[in-house]
Amino acid sequence: MAGVGFRQWAKAIAKGRGSGLSALVSGSRAASSVTKDSLPGPFPKTPEERAAAAKKYNLRIEDYEPYPDNGEGYGDYPKLPDRSQHERDPWYQWDHPDLRRNWGEPMHWDFDMYIRNRVDTSPTPVPWSSMWKQLCGFIGFMLFMFYVGEKFPSYQPVAPKQYPYNNLYLERGGDPEKQPEEVNNYEI
Amino acid sequence: MSRIWSAPLATRPKTLDPNEYFNLSPDQRRAEDARAALRANLKRTYQLQLNNPHRAELIEDPALTRWVYARANPYPHFKATKKTSLLGAMFGVVPLFVLYYVFKTNRDNKEERIKAGTLERKFSLSS
Repeated sequence: MAGVGFRQWAKAIAKGRGSGLSALVSGSRAASSVTKDSLPGPFPKTPEERAAAAKKYNLRIEDYEPYPDNGEGYGDYPKLPDRSQHERDPWYQWDHPDLRRNWGEPMHWDFDMYIRNRVDTSPTPVPWSSMWKQLCGFIGFMLFMFYVGEKFPSYQPVAPKQYPYNNLYLERGGDPEKQPEEVNNYEI
Repeated sequence: MSRIWSAPLATRPKTLDPNEYFNLSPDQRRAEDARAALRANLKRTYQLQLNNPHRAELIEDPALTRWVYARANPYPHFKATKKTSLLGAMFGVVPLFVLYYVFKTNRDNKEERIKAGTLERKFSLSS
């Protein structure tokens, strides 16, 4: 296998067709049956181009809606509804069940975002704005309270440790003959 | 006919939508038929390839190829408009300068304080 490739390469170099990469790939052929006009192209301007693009993407002409032509790099790729794969029927026999997609179906531009491990656009039990307010309210409140706690700390009162036996006079190496000074750690 | 309850956390599937069955104009029905015809054609192509006993290679999906190609090659369709230039500047140029400025001033401040001996050199790893 490698020998055949080497011979092709040597022949191409010997023929002297171009230099560098073009000589190396002159003996190659397409690995897939993809042709140039089945790939995405520029934004369709005429109705014929629109019809051709709709056919290319397996969409009805009325359903085909390209992204607006404002230079953001979409070309003629169709604009499909922004619904995630979570919302697709779980009981239908899809060709690819984990992706909930059939073979040949046009893929959303953000398909890899809308898979079932990622973004979910299913309806929520509570409106989005309400959820957002609850979250922000809670976090804001907790941050505020922690800030207030930093500014006005409140601890148990503490004092230096008090030792018995005249402040441990003998244990600290005091003279046993001498009388230590009386230490009173209490008040009556 | 049993009632169809919609789940609170899921969209109703198209096949269980009552609007699918009632009050449909002939145009809508024709549109649905055309869509179903396209889908059925794709299904048929796929099933023929899938169940072909002589097939020895993977079934290539042209929709997937188109998607990958479109995502990987937006450059020919790029135009420098106000919006795209603004986005490019905001995400590509501004962070460069802002981060440089922030880090430089922070580091210089710290260096000054170290030289003056006012910075508390703790042993903790985080600061």
